[in-house]
Amino acid sequence: MTTYTICIFTENTFGLLNKITILFTRRRINIESLTVSETERKGVSRYTITIKHEKREEVEKLVKQIRKVVEVLAVFGYLDNEVVYNEIALFKIATPIGTRPLDIETINKIYKAWVVYWGLDYVVIEKAGDEAEILDFFRYIKPYGILEFVKSGRVAVGKTPNGLVEFLPEEAHWEYYL
Amino acid sequence: MENHSTMIAQQDTVAIDTPVAQETPATNGKAVADTPRILSGAQALMESLIAEGTEVIFGYPGGAIMPTYDALYDYTDRLDHILVRHEQGAGHAAQGYARTSGKPGVCLVTSGPGGTNLVTPIADAIIDCTPLVCIIGQVKSTLLGTDAFQETDIIGVTTPVCKWNYQITHADEVPEVLAKAFYIATSGKPGPVVIDFARDAQVGAMTKAFEYKKVESLVSYKPRVVPKDEHVERAADLINNAKKPYILFGHGVLISGAMEEFKAFVEKTDIPCASTLLGLSAMPIDHPNYMGWLGMHGNYGTNVLTTQADVIIAIGMRFDDRVTGDATKYIRQAKVIHIEIDPSEIDKIIKADAPVVGDAKEVLKKLLPLVKENNHAAWKSEFKKYDVIEDEKITQRELKPEGEIKMAEVVRMLSDKTKGEACIIADVGQHQMIAARYYQFKKPHSYIASGGLGTMGFAIPAAFGAKKGATEREVVAFIGDGCFQMTIQELGTIAQSGLAVKLIILNNNYLGMVRQWQQLFFEKRYSYVELQNPDFITIAKGFGIQGHTCSDRENLSDSLDTLLKSDKPYLLEVMVEKEENVFPMVPAGAAVADIKLEC
Repeated sequence: MTTYTICIFTENTFGLLNKITILFTRRRINIESLTVSETERKGVSRYTITIKHEKREEVEKLVKQIRKVVEVLAVFGYLDNEVVYNEIALFKIATPIGTRPLDIETINKIYKAWVVYWGLDYVVIEKAGDEAEILDFFRYIKPYGILEFVKSGRVAVGKTPNGLVEFLPEEAHWEYYL
Repeated sequence: MENHSTMIAQQDTVAIDTPVAQETPATNGKAVADTPRILSGAQALMESLIAEGTEVIFGYPGGAIMPTYDALYDYTDRLDHILVRHEQGAGHAAQGYARTSGKPGVCLVTSGPGGTNLVTPIADAIIDCTPLVCIIGQVKSTLLGTDAFQETDIIGVTTPVCKWNYQITHADEVPEVLAKAFYIATSGKPGPVVIDFARDAQVGAMTKAFEYKKVESLVSYKPRVVPKDEHVERAADLINNAKKPYILFGHGVLISGAMEEFKAFVEKTDIPCASTLLGLSAMPIDHPNYMGWLGMHGNYGTNVLTTQADVIIAIGMRFDDRVTGDATKYIRQAKVIHIEIDPSEIDKIIKADAPVVGDAKEVLKKLLPLVKENNHAAWKSEFKKYDVIEDEKITQRELKPEGEIKMAEVVRMLSDKTKGEACIIADVGQHQMIAARYYQFKKPHSYIASGGLGTMGFAIPAAFGAKKGATEREVVAFIGDGCFQMTIQELGTIAQSGLAVKLIILNNNYLGMVRQWQQLFFEKRYSYVELQNPDFITIAKGFGIQGHTCSDRENLSDSLDTLLKSDKPYLLEVMVEKEENVFPMVPAGAAVADIKLEC
């Protein structure tokens, strides 16, 4: 199984998420992670979807089907080595009095993770990185007692000198967010 | 929740002739006529339909769409409306209309069950690339998501089966959305679009003057019509160097209106060609380069010789599994040129060596000067060898049988009587394949059937839709006894509309195609395929449609004459052989070379 990152640029309209996800469902392709956000252009949304698949040609067919959705402006499919990508995870760790204190220096220096909130009996640690790095930190912090763990979908940018928005249809006069 | 009450008129109808100026008198004393009239959303819809050249609406009223029907009452001089008996009928009728008239079919139905009843025709239209604009009522936008009476999430329901959909919740959106809908439905690869029209948007007044601007392009949707030069050149190169080139053409030739260009291309290159089911009638059957049709029940030579061609030129077709059989064994030896407007079809089933994305007509125009004149007489004669075998083993037996009447002889006799110039509608099953095999099409847009979805019940509504779209043509529908009962209520629509549609039931008292499969592949275990049929003629007469039954061969010719001579709708029931099988047949999942000529 190979991981693919699919970046989709769309107009920001109602119901588009559904129009896109049913294309995966119909082909029995499971979405591993999904992130939707605004882009540097007004009215344009960016979907970052990761999937695992054995056949590249099936992924290429899927990309063409996504392009067919009327509101979709552009679609790009990438292998992991073609993108810079990250996820962000939050760990809520119990810190009642009398337990082993957290080793903040190790957390910061070794794992590049940061405490972003101090509660009375717990802290929230933020860790950004790829899946492996987050899993690594998960294993490290687990003995301290994880109350909650949540991870975002992947965000990714292509390893190309151009911005992907350059590929959007030209005649529209896209406004930039400043 | 946002409150639109300031923008929406509180009464159910907005008087059409009440200009704003009368409510807020102009102080400068200028003529009232200068002030643009303000329309309700429903009126704006009517004006939009007229601006798009709509002549007829196929529909059925109901709660949530009533304000629109009320507006329609004032437009009866400019918009014809055909009241169907079930929303499925509206959809298939609109499909039939679109396929003979070349214009998008317009449907108007209510929310909830009205919309869900329309889902089958929408799914049928997307797979057969038929342009439809489906306007479906919806509950007031304030009631959305509350399980209100007749509320269905029709956007959610139709998303997988339509080309585009949109929910209108304010009257101001109407002209812009309609313009977009018509553009999307008819451009690129045509298809159905759905407009979910909330009741308050129908009732509410526009806050600005109605202005209609046709959409001619969209930022996010750019179908490639004119092909890239390098793609055409690569295709021409392959064609010019081919020893045994073979053209497979489909519905795309008819949709793009490329019949003339196609004929010129075929004649210059002298390449033999074969049609898909929906491509039928794009090429007259008596053209020397026309070899027949493809697929599961297509001709013998046309299927088998796909294994010998060195270059396949696929035009406006999508390698459906009913054409390819086992796709892993299909045209493996050949270089493939795939001319297709939808890029997602390229490499989907069959890898293309030379894909050409573009409209068939534009591609053929560019291709014609690049291809060399040629002579493929020897290669064409190979098809004839197979034709002789097929003719002897199947066709002659079907056309000159003894005993009970066979479907084939009915179709061929009608073909002769109409000189191959009628518009044939077929339902789904054995009679559909027989109609395709034995009608000798001379004119384009003459075979209208549900190809991709295989929707039983398609023919009755599609027939009157087709007649509405081409009133000057003879429209004859071949319908099985099973199919007939799926949309039998539309006889009422035909009677009320007075359209002289001719219906022929080929009655074998079986769900014939399923029975054939059970005979051939399920050891003759006939599981629920025999029908106890009603008296179809009495039923037709009950609806006000004349008809009669023909059970003897000697009456067949007279029966068909009676049918054709009628200037009113007419139903002819022909009792045919009960356990007739359609051959040739490529068994499902088999390679086309394994085509069977008999059991």
